[in-house]
Amino acid sequence: MTIIDLIIIIPILAAVAIGCGGSARVLALAAAWANLLLGLVVFVTLVAKGGDEMHFKSSWVLLHSPELTLGFAVDGMSGVLVLLTVIVTFCAVRVSSGDLGKGSGKLYYISLLLIAAGALGAFCATDLFFFYAFHELALIPTFLMIGIYGNGREKVATAWKITIYLGVGSLILLGGLIALYVSLSPPGAPTFDIAKLAPSPGEHPLSAEVQKWIFLPLLVGFGILVSLFPFHSWAAPAYAAAPTPVAMLHAGVLKKFGLYGMLRVAMPLLPEGFEAWKGLLLVLLLGNILYVGLVTISQRYLDRMIGNSSVMHMGYIFLGIACCNSIGWGGAVLMMFAHGISIALLFALCGSLRERLDTLEISRLGGLGGSMPFLAVTFGFAAFASIGLPGFANFASEITIFFAAFKDAGEMGILQVATILALWGVVISAVYMLRAYRSIFQGELIGERYPADLAQSMRLPVVLMIVILLLTGFFPNIILKLLPNLFEVL
Amino acid sequence: MMPSLNEYLMVSGLLFAIGFAGVLMRRNIIIIFMCLEMMLSAANLSLVAFWRFGNGQGMPAQGYDAQVLVFFVIAVAAAEVAVGLAIIVALFRARCTVHVEDLNSMKG
Amino acid sequence: MSIAFIILLLPLVAAASILLGIRKKANLSAYVSVASAGICFLLTLGLIRGSGGEAGAFTWLSVGGLELKIALEITGLTRGMILVVTLVGLLVHIFSLGYMRDDAGKARYFAGLSLFMFSMSGIVLADNFAMMFIFWELVGVSSYLLIGHWFQKNSAAEASKKAFLVNRIGDFGFMAGILLLWGATGEIGFSALRETLEVQTFDPSLLNWAMICIFCGAVGKSAQVPLHVWLPDAMEGPTPVSALIHAATMVAAGVFMLTKVTFLIIAAPVAASVIQHVGALTALLAALMATQQSDIKKILAYSTLSQLGYMVMAVGFAGFLHSGEAVGAVASNAGFFHLYTHAFFKALLFLGAGAVIYACHHEQDIWKMGGLIRLMPVTAITFLIGTAALAGLPPLSGFWSKDAVMAVTQNSTPLLIVGAITAFLTAFYMSRLCTIVFFGKARSQAAREAGEVPLMMRAPLVILALGAVIAGFEFAYGWFIAPADLPHPHGALPLVLTIIGVAGIVTGYLLHRGREKDPIRVEVLVRKFYIDEFYLFLVRVFQDGVAYLAKAVDQLLIDGLIVRGSARLTVGVGLLLRGLQGGNLQRHVFLFGVGIVIVIYLITIALG
Repeated sequence: MTIIDLIIIIPILAAVAIGCGGSARVLALAAAWANLLLGLVVFVTLVAKGGDEMHFKSSWVLLHSPELTLGFAVDGMSGVLVLLTVIVTFCAVRVSSGDLGKGSGKLYYISLLLIAAGALGAFCATDLFFFYAFHELALIPTFLMIGIYGNGREKVATAWKITIYLGVGSLILLGGLIALYVSLSPPGAPTFDIAKLAPSPGEHPLSAEVQKWIFLPLLVGFGILVSLFPFHSWAAPAYAAAPTPVAMLHAGVLKKFGLYGMLRVAMPLLPEGFEAWKGLLLVLLLGNILYVGLVTISQRYLDRMIGNSSVMHMGYIFLGIACCNSIGWGGAVLMMFAHGISIALLFALCGSLRERLDTLEISRLGGLGGSMPFLAVTFGFAAFASIGLPGFANFASEITIFFAAFKDAGEMGILQVATILALWGVVISAVYMLRAYRSIFQGELIGERYPADLAQSMRLPVVLMIVILLLTGFFPNIILKLLPNLFEVL
Repeated sequence: MMPSLNEYLMVSGLLFAIGFAGVLMRRNIIIIFMCLEMMLSAANLSLVAFWRFGNGQGMPAQGYDAQVLVFFVIAVAAAEVAVGLAIIVALFRARCTVHVEDLNSMKG
Repeated sequence: MSIAFIILLLPLVAAASILLGIRKKANLSAYVSVASAGICFLLTLGLIRGSGGEAGAFTWLSVGGLELKIALEITGLTRGMILVVTLVGLLVHIFSLGYMRDDAGKARYFAGLSLFMFSMSGIVLADNFAMMFIFWELVGVSSYLLIGHWFQKNSAAEASKKAFLVNRIGDFGFMAGILLLWGATGEIGFSALRETLEVQTFDPSLLNWAMICIFCGAVGKSAQVPLHVWLPDAMEGPTPVSALIHAATMVAAGVFMLTKVTFLIIAAPVAASVIQHVGALTALLAALMATQQSDIKKILAYSTLSQLGYMVMAVGFAGFLHSGEAVGAVASNAGFFHLYTHAFFKALLFLGAGAVIYACHHEQDIWKMGGLIRLMPVTAITFLIGTAALAGLPPLSGFWSKDAVMAVTQNSTPLLIVGAITAFLTAFYMSRLCTIVFFGKARSQAAREAGEVPLMMRAPLVILALGAVIAGFEFAYGWFIAPADLPHPHGALPLVLTIIGVAGIVTGYLLHRGREKDPIRVEVLVRKFYIDEFYLFLVRVFQDGVAYLAKAVDQLLIDGLIVRGSARLTVGVGLLLRGLQGGNLQRHVFLFGVGIVIVIYLITIALG
């Protein structure tokens, strides 16, 4: 049993123990602490060993033909995402407050732990089957949490909406994965092992045409899960309705599954398939950045605005992926990390605003900076991180992605034009974030509101996330050291 | 004059139609049940009739397959009546009615 | 760690320690910040005596063949600029001790100042575009924080937001330009780029586009037309901030950056022409707008815009083809020379205005002041020295630098005329300002009660006044620009300029002596050519309109028609099928019967 198995099994065990009657919050916190420490150990070990190869391998063969193995391993990319998951899980459990309405919160904490375990399993699985299955494991509690503990009148309808939406996405994805399994397994030895499915360099068993049509369901499936335009409309309402920790976990961690899948499965296994859809993908990601960016500007509620901003930033990560070089992919993974932390931070702060105020309608708030200075300052940090200010990891990842697109670009190709257009998104995101910030925290106080400042219990996770963003912003090589040659390796 | 196969079948069809009409139109579930039995009898009658004219020249067919089948149907029908009536009694106790239009809990 | 790195990092340490530790102790925070500025200034004195060259590097980001470095480069112009930044910075810090003495957010203010010093030093010392861009954004943030210092005032909150957003538009172009250059050459270091451009030839249209894009960054930061609108609004910030950031240093960063890429301007003549004309247009328009403002800080803000226009225009002449050869570095040196002297006298004017505002209980309307020369003589005299320098009267510093700039424009008659008109207007509006504020009778109670400011605020004024007098002499600038590298005017240009300056001052004085309001009121100038209104309209119609439209499309088409539509379709089909399941036993039986009949019919047909 390796440390990675431990990381995945601890939240599951904690969930079982809560189910058997243990104290929910204590167990969840203990599991989150343990995972945070183990995650750091994994990360440090990876830094020492280098991120190019798989480490901490473990496997149990479940079936021989087709070969089905419950196996886990981490390389640099998985390591970064594992670190992201344990950090966000820790913060999400910490910000979960006592006011769960009904019951002892058993289901609440079990769901949180299962989401974390599912995400960790999906990021570490070496097997196509478990890669998919663990993600589904994480999705189901998400739906439950939104339906049971969500906010607003439409929470049940929203829970249904994303259940169906993501269900369809997963189904399409499943179709693509099955096609992959069928067509790429070595003759006579069907296998789900991702490494064994990978074609040997230079000789791909499938023609470009076949790759193209297998790539499409993968792109659409992963795209729906990542809220790629035009499959994005589930995201903002879901995050607005979700309880704070679920919004943090889903937007911060679980949504990265689709991007991880693109990098781990779709792109390496079907390189020519991607080439066929590159133009389409560029158009769609511009839809994310520009179109959804504009949609974000006109949002009236803070939670929806943050949700849409998260959708918008997915476009940059896709841009990094579309660059097809190590710079772009490194930038994309760095951005997954940076965006994961910053969006979790924003949702955590937005959640505590929701607890204190009777509305999150931006135009009806104003001048709150005076009565809640700590929240105002931390929200400022979060907002500046989100719009990609130097000093935060988000900036480092954005600039890496932009440079990646222009690597050795003597003349303007389609990728370069798309990148220039995508640059405008930097202005758009500044517009909506600063407008909201100005309207909520600055200016004259609207109404007679003197809400309390951020609770003491929230301060540790919030400050932790800000420190991580700053640390990786000042020294992005901490993360990037694990991903020096991602493109070549995969 | 001895009746031919057509007459038997005519009577059988008539019985079946009356039974079917009863099932469709009557409200009382016990009557419906009786009509069902009538339809079974119609089937039995045509079975025996086909046997009687079954060898091609208006003479009985070889063997007693039809009779066996008829006995089988009668036995099953008897069992069905036992179970069915028990269900109806239970239904009446639960719902205080034996009218089918009141029994619409299967509505989708 | 080299001296330059310490200069760079010390203010960051100060800002961080204020934010993390001592922000509750306002006075201690202020002293920490001032001390860091003072040490930086002393270290700068050491640095500028040094030999220059590289000063160490730190690999900030490296992945897959991309390496972005924080590397410092010290050239001649860098030394001049870092001296301006640390000297004016130190004086503004000291002045702020008095000006912000009783402010509730004092610790936050000084943390902002230190953060600014860090960012600005980063721009000055950068040896590559990536690092410059990083600090370029950071000065934007510190400017945002300081303009919005009084964030509970709606106007200050709006102004800080506007400044940041307008700058972001410029940064968009800047980044695009950097990327274009990097794509073509594979280099982002200034010296590496210069060498590459010397060795290889590149598509001129690409270079032109890249340079125009990079110039966008300068347009935003140095507030050139059409992105000039943020600077006047930025006057909502505390006055010392306006002196440091929005007069002497940050807004000059655009010009400084252009001087750093002079080699690129030379290689891109079309872009150079764009730069000249944008600069000239800014100089003229801003000077016109300055003549009709009544807020003392806004007048100075437009004046800053106009002078920045001068500098940009001069730098643009580097790529001007004069009998087949580019004018070259001489032109950008002239621009930088003006930047250098301007930093002194404009910081002086702003701090003087700050002292006046402080003395008049935060009154900024010049029509409520008057006669202040008797009540606050030191402030008034230093202010008048600054005015004379700005108007270009010999032998003050502004005279020499303006001569250098105008000498460059002698290459092109239309721009020479624009420059001369602007020079006249400059003298005119400054004389108007001084006449109204310092002479005549006091026009309000606040002005009658004004008194001289404390020593802590007077001392910086005197030092800057000294700088405004001597900065144009060779001993004060020769150590970073050799006089031979500056352009020299032909003919009677200096004399003509002096006459223009005197004429402007006299006209301004005569027109406004003893008046209670402007004798000539030009509505279009008062309303700043309606540019703000026009932009507001553009933002409303295009950005917000399109955003609203996009939201509507999102809700109606994507979420409504496609997503909910398919959901509705499923539900609708379900409803149809539901009708078949009435729960009525007899209906089921009937349908069952019908089904059997149909099946028998079909079987009959199939069998023939």
